[in-house]
Amino acid sequence: MRKGAAFALTCVGIALAGRVAAADPGLALPAYTAAYQPTTVDERGMWMEADERERMLRDSPLRIRDGQLEHYVRDVLCREVGAERCQSVRVYVMEIPALNASMMANGCMEVWTGLLLRARNEAELAAVLGHEFGHFELRHQLMGFKAQRGVTDAAAWIGVIGAMANTNVNGAQLSLAGSLYRFNRDQETQADLIGLKYLAASGYPAKAASEVWQQAMAEQDATAIGRGQKPKRQYSAGFFDTHPPDLKRSQYLAEAAARTPGGSDARAKEYREAIAPYLPRLLAAQVRKNDFGGSDFILAALAEQGGWTGDLLFARAELYRARGNPRDLQMASLWYRDAKAAGYAAPELDRNLGLALLRNGQAQEARQALSAYLAAKPDASDAKMIQSLLAN
Amino acid sequence: MKLVPIMIALSITVATTGASFANSLVPAGPRAGIAKSALSAKPDKEWNRLSLALGRNVEVWTVDGDALNKVTFFGGIASGSPLMREFDKKRQPLPKVATNMLITDIPALLESTYRSQNAVSQMSIDSQEPAMLGAHKGIRFTYSFTRSDEVARKGEGLGAIVGGKLYLVTYEAPALHFFDKDLERYRVLAASLAL
Repeated sequence: MRKGAAFALTCVGIALAGRVAAADPGLALPAYTAAYQPTTVDERGMWMEADERERMLRDSPLRIRDGQLEHYVRDVLCREVGAERCQSVRVYVMEIPALNASMMANGCMEVWTGLLLRARNEAELAAVLGHEFGHFELRHQLMGFKAQRGVTDAAAWIGVIGAMANTNVNGAQLSLAGSLYRFNRDQETQADLIGLKYLAASGYPAKAASEVWQQAMAEQDATAIGRGQKPKRQYSAGFFDTHPPDLKRSQYLAEAAARTPGGSDARAKEYREAIAPYLPRLLAAQVRKNDFGGSDFILAALAEQGGWTGDLLFARAELYRARGNPRDLQMASLWYRDAKAAGYAAPELDRNLGLALLRNGQAQEARQALSAYLAAKPDASDAKMIQSLLAN
Repeated sequence: MKLVPIMIALSITVATTGASFANSLVPAGPRAGIAKSALSAKPDKEWNRLSLALGRNVEVWTVDGDALNKVTFFGGIASGSPLMREFDKKRQPLPKVATNMLITDIPALLESTYRSQNAVSQMSIDSQEPAMLGAHKGIRFTYSFTRSDEVARKGEGLGAIVGGKLYLVTYEAPALHFFDKDLERYRVLAASLAL
């Protein structure tokens, strides 16, 4: 009997050791199942909702269908996670000027144009895509759904018990809610780290992941300063935050990248070429958001990579003209002219230069620019308006 | 049984307090003091004035509901003020009216306001031409935009800067069917504006 007990204990010991080894956040990627299908009631329900959401994305007027943009983004993901894993993914690019991407359980990935504008190279885009793909591979949405249901069920029951006992249970409900947010933060960290493994394994420099968050923090500061506020970095996660604070995130990502540095080619040139046809549209949406500091920061960050191109100079001139202080109008006029010299050819440049000069009281120069616009585009949809400005 | 009189009393209270915030009918004929300003008009048909509180000098009229056809009056927005009330002054401040604005900056101000606050990610100013707002020189412009409900909408605006203040009237409706349905009704209203 004793022998048997000892044997059983040894077996348990081996099993436990095995579990510890498997739970270690080592280097192995999660098991991959081709053409995975949902298995449980929860999962099937979730996929059904995801399918419905995907149909909405597919038909949305915000989706950028023209050209090869969605193909390109998907190619970056495939390069990162491998052709086999990315077979199950569809990418939808939505014209929303904010930094975001998300992925649902059924393999539908949504990428906002704000991310495409802010990424400075393919590696930074791949860092965010890999993070989202990490959530997908680890089936986080399902676990999140179960955790949420578990916690809200418990919260509901505590509420009922509290009502029966006529005691205040808000504190208990709040601490359960906190455990749910904390759970989300843990998932984010897991996805960050698995995303980093994809990044490093595919030959992109792994430090790109932490750079994304450093840029995001710097942009937030620039936005605050541009609005006359104090830049306020959050150094620790608030109770209701679903994501780890950006600072902590960039730190642990930088540490992980130091261990697995990956390749050295971030493919900045290839990225710029792929985004170039869409850049004027993305820039125009950004500079009209009434975020002077953040927009100026993004423009400077892009210029740091590939120099002040005609597109970037024009966007900067637009940004300053919209703020409209005399000093802004002076700089705007300068940058419109620089943009023209750098090869920006659209006739709207002359119109906007003319409007900046006119608003700044430089009537004579304004007339020249506005006339040049009308000469280049006599049947423009605003020709009559510009003519009436010239007549005054 | 005791509950019934309490519920009746409660519903009467709700109904009476609700009345002070309610929408109201705008009959055909002259109407002054629109958007708490010097703006007046003479609609040829009935409109409904909504109780939407978009700002102190903002008034909204509609025929079928503001999602289907919406006329917004901005009555004399002073320099340094936003077009509408800011939901979140700190994180989503709105662009402000400026003394040195050109008349062509009016559509740009509307666009920037929508992009900042109304979750509008796609918007374009489609045409601009000189027009009269009452006896004042102004601008008429057309635009199109999509809000988060993903309905493609069209709009037409008539604006002017008078005495350093911005006066603007806009008409917005879904591009499909509704914009054309009430365009003439709006244009009659816009042509009757006086300041």
